[in-house]
Amino acid sequence: MKLLVTGASGFLGRHIVAQAVARGHDVRAQVRPVSNIEALGWEGHPNVEIVRADLRDKSVLDALVQGCDAVVSNAACKAGDFYTQFAGTVITTENLLAAMANTGVKRLVSVSTFSVYGFLKMGDGDLLDENSPIDNDPIDRDEYAQTKLVQEELAHGFAEEHGGKVTIIRPGVIYGRDNTWTARIGMELGANRCLVVGGRTILPVTYVENCANAIVLAAENDQAIGETYNIVDDNLPTHRQYLNALNQYREPRMKSLPMPWLVMRFVAALALGVNKLFLGRQAKIPSILRPAALHARCKPASYTNKRIKDSVDWTPKFGLEESLKRSFDEHDFAALPPKDQADAAATVTDTDTTGSGDVDQETRTCA
Amino acid sequence: MLKVKSAVIGTGEISAEHLKFLATSKTTQLVGVCDLSRAAANYAAKTFGADKAYTDYKQMLDEAQPDVVHVLTPPQSHVPLTTDCLDAGAHVICEKPITLGHDQFTSLWSHAQLKQKRLIEDHNYRFNQPILKIEKLIADGVLGDVMEVDIRMALDLRSGGRFADRNLPNPAHKLPAGVIHDFITHLGYLTLRFFPDPDKVSAAWTNHEGDDLFKYDDLDAILIAGNKHARIRFSCRTSPDCFAVTVRGSRAEVQTDLFHPFMRLIRPRVGGEKLSPVVNQLANGLSLVGSSIGTFRNKLMQRSPYEGLHTLLYQTYKALGNDDEPPVTFNDMDRASRLIDQMLLGDNQI
Repeated sequence: MKLLVTGASGFLGRHIVAQAVARGHDVRAQVRPVSNIEALGWEGHPNVEIVRADLRDKSVLDALVQGCDAVVSNAACKAGDFYTQFAGTVITTENLLAAMANTGVKRLVSVSTFSVYGFLKMGDGDLLDENSPIDNDPIDRDEYAQTKLVQEELAHGFAEEHGGKVTIIRPGVIYGRDNTWTARIGMELGANRCLVVGGRTILPVTYVENCANAIVLAAENDQAIGETYNIVDDNLPTHRQYLNALNQYREPRMKSLPMPWLVMRFVAALALGVNKLFLGRQAKIPSILRPAALHARCKPASYTNKRIKDSVDWTPKFGLEESLKRSFDEHDFAALPPKDQADAAATVTDTDTTGSGDVDQETRTCA
Repeated sequence: MLKVKSAVIGTGEISAEHLKFLATSKTTQLVGVCDLSRAAANYAAKTFGADKAYTDYKQMLDEAQPDVVHVLTPPQSHVPLTTDCLDAGAHVICEKPITLGHDQFTSLWSHAQLKQKRLIEDHNYRFNQPILKIEKLIADGVLGDVMEVDIRMALDLRSGGRFADRNLPNPAHKLPAGVIHDFITHLGYLTLRFFPDPDKVSAAWTNHEGDDLFKYDDLDAILIAGNKHARIRFSCRTSPDCFAVTVRGSRAEVQTDLFHPFMRLIRPRVGGEKLSPVVNQLANGLSLVGSSIGTFRNKLMQRSPYEGLHTLLYQTYKALGNDDEPPVTFNDMDRASRLIDQMLLGDNQI
């Protein structure tokens, strides 16, 4: 299978490429025109074709998509103002889907996020699954949630208007190397202190290699067409458990200030009330004090990964301890071996197309 | 009441301010928004309550038949879009710079005259409160004769954001003065409000970093009219951001910053020549405290330096409704456009 992976130089994108190659696929890895491709660790690999293209420039995208069997739409913009994120997440997706329609490529795996869910409408402790309501009124959500919601609409539109074979992947909090802190825990207070909102609240994490493996399995599997999958690992930790586990590797340790969920929820509701009553709801309030955003970040809920497990036989390979260990390992697990070593490893790769997803050994061997 | 039918072409960042005005105005009906991106047009239509989203502006002109069109696209596209809107019988409010040169402007203006339609360039900062206050100080004779004007904008465009993006360079880099051209109109029309008739214009356009993305990253221009001087500065490589305006008169001096508004007025005070410096500092200190509260309030209430745009649009629609001359006149646009040409003219470059 030839997979186009967009946003391939990003945190998740690099691992999707590594997982896809490990599972025997050829990958066309889209990176931006001025990306440092040497840092990707794929140079000279026979199964990775690195293509420099900006997805905002629709004139180059037919050629980018042409010849691929499936597209993993992973590119998104999480920084900058609304219009920057809209261009980097929505316009890019719109252009990509137009190119897929032009070139007859139907298979799309669209990487979305938990942020599209309407947490405010859920009760405390409710189960969040793929049937949970999405946020239909995201005006008080951040730019990321707003633009990802539009991106999902585009993916659904591609299925309806062009007969696209679409899978939506909604990962929870993805963590891994250089990305071990998440605002879902609460709020950073300087470099080594944080406010932990609801210490016993479950943190819906997925380790980046586990998540990337799920995405590649979904791309391979026809049963995933038309489906939406939430991606979280097994045995999810609480906020406090995650922070404690993280502190095993952090130096200095992150000191935490506990804040009960109900107190935080009350403070945010109070802030909203003041904003509505006295400020015409025009005041810009930090997201942790906006109920819609606070609930999306910190609300107590339970989670399930049953649907993707049942559908594509995915099992998160790495638990929390091993995942954090790998996150702080000097080895870059998204790197692929250079050509000579890759040739030697090709036999291993060829035999590893049964769905075991056991890429750990390969990448280590070839490092 | 019959509402004015308005439409917008281009849904980029500046469109939010135009659309906020149109969405809340009681005298306008937003009949269409248009963008090359279907998703962007749909999003803007949904967010601001437009009747319909379009990706083809000619279809929008034909179907929605707007009375007024806001042209908010990159400057290179202003002439053809504006011409088509005028041909379709619409008045046009166009973002700055309305054209890439004075010749283009006069030609476009002639076309608007031929079609008996209004053509208005966005000179929004002219309508910000601090500028209106300075104009009042001049009109009231507090400043005396204006002797010096200093307009200075610093935006650290090199350090990040859309203009520093090398992956897909912003179209503004291809303007005659590069990205500075995207801002120069503001500096030009504000200078001309206080310094209307420069005899001599000299300008140093520099690319201090010497890279191939930015054409220029610094402008230092001097305007002279008899014994009066004005200076226009723009820097893409210094921080903090500012849009500082200083007007020195024969009797007093006033300073402001349009990004973080304050007013510092130095003038003869009670106590005569010896005590005036002390009284000025006390008065300006108190004023600065008040400004800090105002700046905090602006941040909290999400009020941007585009406050003047809303005033400009309100006055423009009022003028259009009464068939009066809009607040930004031919002379305003003509002189601003000519000043930019003069600054770019090879013979005037330092």
